[in-house]
Amino acid sequence: MTPEHRKYLTAPLIDSNPVTLQILGICSALAVTTSMATALTMSIALTVVLTAASALISLIRRHLPSSIRLVLQITIIAALVIVADQILRAYAFEMSQRLSVFVGLIVTNCIVLGRAETFAMRNPVWPSVLDGLGNGLGYSLVLMIVAALREGFGAGALFGVQLLPLASEGGWFTPLGFMLLAPSAFFILGLMIWALRTGRPAQIEPDAFPRNDTGAEEAGR
Amino acid sequence: MMRSGVDPAGGWDAHRLTLAFGIAAGLPACAAIAERGGAFSILLAMGLAVIWEAVFARIRRRPMAWDGLVSALIFALLVPAQTPFWQQGLALSFGLVMGDLIFGGRGRGFLSPACVGLAFLLFSFPQAGAEDLGLMTMIAALGGGAILLGLGLLSWRVVLGFCLPLLAGAALSGAPEAVAWMPNATLALGLIFLIGDPVAAASTNPGRWAYGGMAGALVMLFGSEGSALASVVFAGLLASLFAPLMDQAVVWWAWRRRRNRRGQHG
Repeated sequence: MTPEHRKYLTAPLIDSNPVTLQILGICSALAVTTSMATALTMSIALTVVLTAASALISLIRRHLPSSIRLVLQITIIAALVIVADQILRAYAFEMSQRLSVFVGLIVTNCIVLGRAETFAMRNPVWPSVLDGLGNGLGYSLVLMIVAALREGFGAGALFGVQLLPLASEGGWFTPLGFMLLAPSAFFILGLMIWALRTGRPAQIEPDAFPRNDTGAEEAGR
Repeated sequence: MMRSGVDPAGGWDAHRLTLAFGIAAGLPACAAIAERGGAFSILLAMGLAVIWEAVFARIRRRPMAWDGLVSALIFALLVPAQTPFWQQGLALSFGLVMGDLIFGGRGRGFLSPACVGLAFLLFSFPQAGAEDLGLMTMIAALGGGAILLGLGLLSWRVVLGFCLPLLAGAALSGAPEAVAWMPNATLALGLIFLIGDPVAAASTNPGRWAYGGMAGALVMLFGSEGSALASVVFAGLLASLFAPLMDQAVVWWAWRRRRNRRGQHG
């Protein structure tokens, strides 16, 4: 793997993370992160679908007429998602019940279509695979962090294993019920993005409504 | 923005506003301490607020602001007394940071930090909040509210808009027990300091009526099921989320009216 290829894989982990930089895939990041197990399953499903979709679309990119390329991309992604969903139902039925519709909703996940449209359509197969895998892993990284915080503080457990003794069962830990509600994922994601952009100011977006009244010496900043 | 009474923008700096709110909130706080004690938890809350204000003053390289003290005072007044200190501290920190400081301090956010903190507490640690604020606290709260009204820091439109649905509901149901829970200290404090907070409230005059009315109707709706504290906190939070939309609607409406008028006159 050349250094350039390695960058396709590692850049989406932090520097151009699909969730924290591009703010994509937020819906599922809120929905499946109440426990580590569901978050991990969802992460694996998305990473597999994304990698396979990038590979397939890159493979046939010269044969896709540009007027119907989105339809074909969606068809390929949807086929892969159905396969992933069916495999989950066959071999991990309880997990698929806990994830409810969210594996099926990978079809509408903007990360998958975004990588297909912006990268796989323009690049050879091997970089596309690496890019898909890298973005899947970047998504997974964020999901696992959010899920660890939510399950840890909301239930005192990780992967369903009780780590902190609950106050209701004679221990000392009072779970934060708020962590199991969807808004907490918003807050955690927001704080993560804040911390990340404080550490890496290059990720800060330009002001959408810049001020014009600050004078010449301030405008230069 | 505020047009009744003294215009705080004219000559009133941030510290003077903070002082006015502090005096208004200090009255019921003193009454509550005399009535049920709890001076320690109020001091603890205020200490925590100073720490957060200092941290953010340092991060943002701004002069120190003291508004957190008022928020902490209101929070400590309304929080159920038997709540453990670490839960109070966590909820207050959440309210101060996520409800206020993260936006850049008081006046730059759109929610009351005390309201956010209390909502966090009620969500995270649901418990039966015993109403232990008495008559003296309520009278002191009304006194504080009168000061704020006189200074134009509390909009009388919000207060009236809030009271109308409650009175209408009481008159319609006609049941005296429906009115019995109404004049209580939690409700008065919540109306004056959470719902009436000019940062959280709407800032156009028709918007203030709508905002107060929405908060009043929600308190009536929630109050029939839950405790007075939960109903006033969630009503305040929900109404203040809608306040910017109400203001925007008023602006659109005024803009359209002006355009139509201009159009007719050529």
